[in-house]
Amino acid sequence: MNLSRRDFLWMAGAATVVSTTGCDLAPKMIPELKLAKLAPPSFWPVADPFPGPYVAPAGTEKDAVSHALSRMAYGPAPGDYARVSALGVEAYLEEQLSPDAIDDKPCDQRIRLCETIFVPGRELYEYQETLLLEELTRATLLRAVYSKRQLYEVMVGFWTDHFNIDSSKGDCQWLKTMDDREVIRKHALGKFPELLRAVVLSPAMLWYLDGRVNRRATEDEQPNENYARELLELHSLGVHAGYSQQDVMEVARCLTGWTVQEPGWLKRRGRVKFNPDLHDDGAKEVLGVTVPSGLGEGDVERVIEIVMKNPETGHFIATKLCRRFVSDTPGIEIVDTVASAFRKSEGDIPTMLRALFAHPEFLQSRDAKFKRPFRFAVSALRATGASGKMKSPVSEYLVRMGHAPFQYPTPEGYADEAAPWLGTLFWRWHMADALANGTLDGVEVDWDRLRENFGDALASHLLARAPSDLERNAYNESGPAALIASPAFQRY
Amino acid sequence: MAQGTGFVDGIGDNQNTVVVIFLRGGADGLTLVPPVGDDAYYRARPYISIKKKDAIALDGTFGLNPEMAALKPLYDDHALAIVHGVGSEDSSRSHFEAQDLMEQGGATAGGWIGRYLRASSLGNDGPLTAVAIGKSLPVSLRGAPSSVAMESFETLSLGAEEAPFLSALQKMYAHEKSGIGKAGLDSLAAMDRIKTMRETDYQPGGGAEYGDDSLSRGLRQVAQLIKAKVGLKAATIDLDGWDSHIVTGAVMNPLMQRLSTAMSAFYLDLDRYMETTTLLVMTEFGRRVYENASFGTDHGRGSIMMALGGGVAGGRVLSDWAGLEEDNLEGPGDLPVTINYRDVLAPILQNHASHVDPGAVFPGYEISPVAIFG
Repeated sequence: MNLSRRDFLWMAGAATVVSTTGCDLAPKMIPELKLAKLAPPSFWPVADPFPGPYVAPAGTEKDAVSHALSRMAYGPAPGDYARVSALGVEAYLEEQLSPDAIDDKPCDQRIRLCETIFVPGRELYEYQETLLLEELTRATLLRAVYSKRQLYEVMVGFWTDHFNIDSSKGDCQWLKTMDDREVIRKHALGKFPELLRAVVLSPAMLWYLDGRVNRRATEDEQPNENYARELLELHSLGVHAGYSQQDVMEVARCLTGWTVQEPGWLKRRGRVKFNPDLHDDGAKEVLGVTVPSGLGEGDVERVIEIVMKNPETGHFIATKLCRRFVSDTPGIEIVDTVASAFRKSEGDIPTMLRALFAHPEFLQSRDAKFKRPFRFAVSALRATGASGKMKSPVSEYLVRMGHAPFQYPTPEGYADEAAPWLGTLFWRWHMADALANGTLDGVEVDWDRLRENFGDALASHLLARAPSDLERNAYNESGPAALIASPAFQRY
Repeated sequence: MAQGTGFVDGIGDNQNTVVVIFLRGGADGLTLVPPVGDDAYYRARPYISIKKKDAIALDGTFGLNPEMAALKPLYDDHALAIVHGVGSEDSSRSHFEAQDLMEQGGATAGGWIGRYLRASSLGNDGPLTAVAIGKSLPVSLRGAPSSVAMESFETLSLGAEEAPFLSALQKMYAHEKSGIGKAGLDSLAAMDRIKTMRETDYQPGGGAEYGDDSLSRGLRQVAQLIKAKVGLKAATIDLDGWDSHIVTGAVMNPLMQRLSTAMSAFYLDLDRYMETTTLLVMTEFGRRVYENASFGTDHGRGSIMMALGGGVAGGRVLSDWAGLEEDNLEGPGDLPVTINYRDVLAPILQNHASHVDPGAVFPGYEISPVAIFG
């Protein structure tokens, strides 16, 4: 039996602990091991992520199945159209809303190589921060391309934007890995208030928006408002939702005292701790609701209750969901429907999604969205059934197109609308060309398998509908690259 | 303007170019250009203020942060004007809102540069009329008749075999009715232009020494585009990271060095082209006058703008300075916005294109131009 590198590190760390006295000394003994990347076993039996039968849609416009696969998933992969046609869109949605019940072996096997995404929080600081970002990015790409839990991955992407953290800031370099696993992924299809609570107390978020230095030990100290403002403006109510500068300052007071431990004797770096001495324990008034004095760390709970009770929160989250899943300018009716689902279910995310997908505007919105670069890259890899470990060449394209995961600097997250992304077409064409012509390092497309199975319908599979004459000619002259680079493939 | 040796014909010969550096994150004007003659500044910031003896004196009230010493010769040349206490009417103190408003230029669709380019267009816009150095188009350029985002032009090619592929794309994007079609055609045209540029070996003029960072690299390429007369009317580039909630100096010092080095090199490199090029530096808001307990400052209101070249009457700090005494501050203790950023931009745009109505660029705003030209 092979020991994983993690086990190996753990044993090395344990041995060091025995020979010294403090576990904080252990990481200093390990740096050389951090560089020693154990090679994966030479035989790696990976399951086929895209089994047949392969069927392509025949209509000249996207049908309901192709539309569902465009929005609930990162686009159709070979085999998806046949499977979802047989299953029905509603049953597919229900399947997707219970991700834990979906066997995800092909993906699980592939992400195994990204070992650091499984490392417990207390061990993250033992790794080089560049390795953590690289593996987290790779795992994100691998999951988006290969996971059968597609809607779950799409929602992980949605919340990653909504609760954006730039992993280059301070200790976020280490802590974002934990935030991804224990905040975003844990609650991506759960309950919004639980997700928000996890975000507020996430060590990565406390670092990113300076919550960890928000303190008021004496009357003279001014709280650091950074997180309080974004909590209201970006994470819950939304901008112009009727809160005032005073509300921001009061929320900041409520959140004083939450710290992230620095390295030190018997202190576990990165652990979140409430320090009552740094907390302003006086009474506050947030959005017209009194938070009584003396609640200490309980103030957080009160703040979450207050924003959850405010109807603006449901409206804001519904607007953002509709902008992601319907169009850049969703109608009032569908937003109200989703907002109402939010309120009635107290922020149950699957309930909101069911309401959204059942609304007629969803089906009417076919092809209304312009793919952001991440979706473009992932949908191209899925459509071609590409195999690869998603090492740097793919993520470099995302950097070039300004859409590298976990690297957006400011807290509002990557824009959802088409406009800011229209300047990225060149790099899409570049990647389409490389993917189709086998020059994308480390990524392989089995064109023979695709041609054998789809036959003449391969162009229809790539576009998720039958090609126009113009597209057919482009395909005949320049091959599949022209379709992946076409205007139609940029929409979803 | 003399005919240059540019290899691109026609549209570039009478160009005026506005280049905008946006300092994202809310750059602290009181650290960039500290009011060293104002005692209240030192009382509000016992730890993070710039000492009078360290600052480079500009006038009786203001000094230049010593990290930006490279800008002093430009100021002494009367090429660089600084405006203090400038900002927008947005009091949300939200990065996102304030940047949006400042880049849109009002509660209206599109961006102010986009509208300026549309209003000044003589129908001869080329693919490189507006260039965003970076990975995506900023809000300010939205609505431009033509624009392209590029990180650099060294790599904008699909290789030797690109011709049939590009011809297929040309046909499909020309047929596409949505904005995607236009964006595709713009990209194809820009690729063609850049192909020519790429094959030229560029040497900066005037002994300019650009830094080795993205701002310097970007401005170097903007200078190359200007000198090549490709018809560049507007270029944008961002310098991120000014959100100094903690330890102001640690956050701002390296950024100030990069900013001043790049501006100085651009000025030397462009030489006579600076007469028709205006380089603008702006930020969404300034920061709280009082330092916080983590030796940083929180979101505030007024900050600075800088205008370099384009005939501005430089060597001056323009302000309506009332001092930083508590009574003069706004809201939770912020430097008030005494000069609206549009009042700085409007006269500069009008100097670049006299036929443009500033009211069309900044709809719904009554302009009272700042005397930036003296």
